[in-house]
Amino acid sequence: MTANKKDCAVVIVTLMVATILARSPQLCAQTVAAKPAPTSAWSVQVDKVDPGDVVIEPAFQIAIYENLLVELGKTKQFKQVFRSGDRNASDVPDLLILKTTVQKYTAGSETRRAVTTVSGATKLNVRSQLCTRDGQVVVEHVIDGNVRFLGSNLRATHNLARNVAKSIEQSSLPEPGVSTPAQKSATSGVAAARPGLR
Amino acid sequence: MRMTQVRASFGVLDHAEIPDDPGLEKNMNSSVVALRHAPGPYCLTYRAAYLMLLIWYGTMMFAQTSSGPMNATATTPALGAEVTVTQVSVTQVLGFEAARNNTKGTLSVQDNALQFKKNGNAVAQVNISSIQDVVLGEESKQVGGLPMTLGKAGVPYGGGRVISLFSHKKYDTLTLQYLDANGGLHGAIFQLEKGQAAVLKNELVAKGAHVTTIENPSAKPNPQGAQNDSK
Repeated sequence: MTANKKDCAVVIVTLMVATILARSPQLCAQTVAAKPAPTSAWSVQVDKVDPGDVVIEPAFQIAIYENLLVELGKTKQFKQVFRSGDRNASDVPDLLILKTTVQKYTAGSETRRAVTTVSGATKLNVRSQLCTRDGQVVVEHVIDGNVRFLGSNLRATHNLARNVAKSIEQSSLPEPGVSTPAQKSATSGVAAARPGLR
Repeated sequence: MRMTQVRASFGVLDHAEIPDDPGLEKNMNSSVVALRHAPGPYCLTYRAAYLMLLIWYGTMMFAQTSSGPMNATATTPALGAEVTVTQVSVTQVLGFEAARNNTKGTLSVQDNALQFKKNGNAVAQVNISSIQDVVLGEESKQVGGLPMTLGKAGVPYGGGRVISLFSHKKYDTLTLQYLDANGGLHGAIFQLEKGQAAVLKNELVAKGAHVTTIENPSAKPNPQGAQNDSK
């Protein structure tokens, strides 16, 4: 009886080791895939956020700008991500410029959200355009970033930047040097299907 | 009739009178209700405890809101001369490179640089002449973070919402725009105790920081949730 139990344990351990060894190349491949090379030959420069006609706090503009830099860097889609005014960007041949214009802004209140749940949301709506140096719009999206329940008001800027980065990631950028018509978010099914993206 | 010791399902021992009929005793084996049972979550004791908790939270939050600004300046001797160093406790919300978001520390104006220090060690430093804009703001936030939020969610009868009414704190925000060595634009946002941002801004302007944004009172957060729309 005891010998049978020992045999069973040995068989189970052997099977587990074999399974792990068999899957190890796949796991290695996944680990390598987690650090992808830039998927496009473009570099991007993030422009300062344009408030347009909307009265929006400078803290929100700066938060959107800084969060865009972080989120675009996370996507690994671009070779380099430059700040607005960076002199190093002038030497880069294939550069896209990300322009962000605020279209709507609803100031929220964290206390109102906590007390009422249904009101006090902070809402941001921006037009995001990826342009070439000569001003040709390559990708254009209208994107929302909101805070409805938990989090501070500035959390809306983080959500917005993440949505912008996702929509750019899901857009197919043209090859550098090839002129293509602008992809608008209205024709982008992926962007339209995602919550927070229009 | 005989006295039988009955073991209730929750471990409370009680004596109950059970008739001598053995069939009945068998049937009642699992349906005995204890005379003393554990109090439910909505009994009077629990309600009193919740009320005490509510009052305690409320008092704590009032105490936090009414606290005044800390002393903002310190004097340090440097090279034989006394130099006044403005030092303010801040939370770096975002933007300062080499410092993680929401890091607590101190912001000090020293010589011609604005330093962010954590535990006395300089984490990041910006040349004041490279500052392009300094903007003040005002915000209100719920104190306590996620643990407090979860605690409030656990209070019955909507008591958590009542706590939220009092558990908010107003603070100043200081937004800086500055250029790095390559001319790249950076932005940084700091949270300060109420009233301290203006002190720091005046100090920065006196030391040569540029200010381009005109403070617009309508740009302050609107508690009514007014909507700005360019369309």
